[in-house]
Amino acid sequence: MERKPGWLKVRYNQEAVEEVARLMGELKLNTVCREANCPNLGECYRKHTATFMILGSVCTRNCRFCDVKPGRPLPPDPEEPENVAAAARRLGLRHVVLTCPTRDDLPDGGAEQFAKTVRAIRKACPGATVETLISDMKMNTAALDAVIEARPEVLNHNVETVKELQGDVRPQADYRRSLDVLRYCKEKDGTLLTKTGFMVGLGETEEQIEVLMDDALAAGVDILTIGQYLQPSPEHHPLARYASPEDFARYREKALAKGFRYVASAPLARSSYKAWEALEGVHDLH
Amino acid sequence: MEKQLSLPRLREEMTSGVLCAWLKEEGEPVAPGEPLYEIETDKVVNQIEATEAGVLKKQLREEGDEIVPGAPVAILETE
Repeated sequence: MERKPGWLKVRYNQEAVEEVARLMGELKLNTVCREANCPNLGECYRKHTATFMILGSVCTRNCRFCDVKPGRPLPPDPEEPENVAAAARRLGLRHVVLTCPTRDDLPDGGAEQFAKTVRAIRKACPGATVETLISDMKMNTAALDAVIEARPEVLNHNVETVKELQGDVRPQADYRRSLDVLRYCKEKDGTLLTKTGFMVGLGETEEQIEVLMDDALAAGVDILTIGQYLQPSPEHHPLARYASPEDFARYREKALAKGFRYVASAPLARSSYKAWEALEGVHDLH
Repeated sequence: MEKQLSLPRLREEMTSGVLCAWLKEEGEPVAPGEPLYEIETDKVVNQIEATEAGVLKKQLREEGDEIVPGAPVAILETE
């Protein structure tokens, strides 16, 4: 195993992790924290924060960077929306992040389950804000409308990497389609905060990163997250490099100078890591 | 009371981790939440926290050792 740079260090508290895992088990829920083997799981669970992965834990796509299992998923669980709301309430979450594996097998890509879950959270957790981290839903506008109409505060969809690496990294997705999803959602509801994220360390160049930032801005994206790609296993896309904390600081400055309203850029920044702070950061600008 | 501390399973498919550093010496007091040792896994270096107070009585493994989840790592003397 190649030695990790000193900045890739996380804390792990077994008791805290088991406590949150128990709650999720009781309510038959999945977290992307566990399913994607997120390095921040220990820290987030300790703070009683988790990102719910609705619509099961099996993905119909097979992206080369991602640790979520590919395969044939089960039908959506009708009790899931209420169970997510109950877990969010028990954890005392003030900002609830929902994500899903990509469900190309469902006609609406899982949009209705997202909408139901947002509504259940509204009832169970008054005052909490909600972020939906969605798949591209094949750019099905009726599906996207269903999510938008449930009125999450933040709509997040990741482009994941620069245009040039899309075919290698997420072969069943499409850079333009992802940008179209973000643009469509923003145009449909201007009050919706839109968010995207990408990884560095897959082999991208600085110039390609700049183009990505420009493209995301042109699609109306408000919030940007940038984090280090960490190879889940030797079978996944190879790691090209570890970017330094200084690199991430430079990306952040660049993105802010270009006009993003909030930028989270750090080696262990993830799409939903400290998502509350991003929302708060944007609202401070009002 | 002596309590044996084992390496937690940090992820479902974890097969092993490498002990990269001890953060407490034998005989040192430990408070809950304080990191005891560092384990390197596929993605990152994990600082494993103590979950209860005590004194680190014995380090059972050395830096550089490959350890499987569930294997004993240390003995903590608790009150």
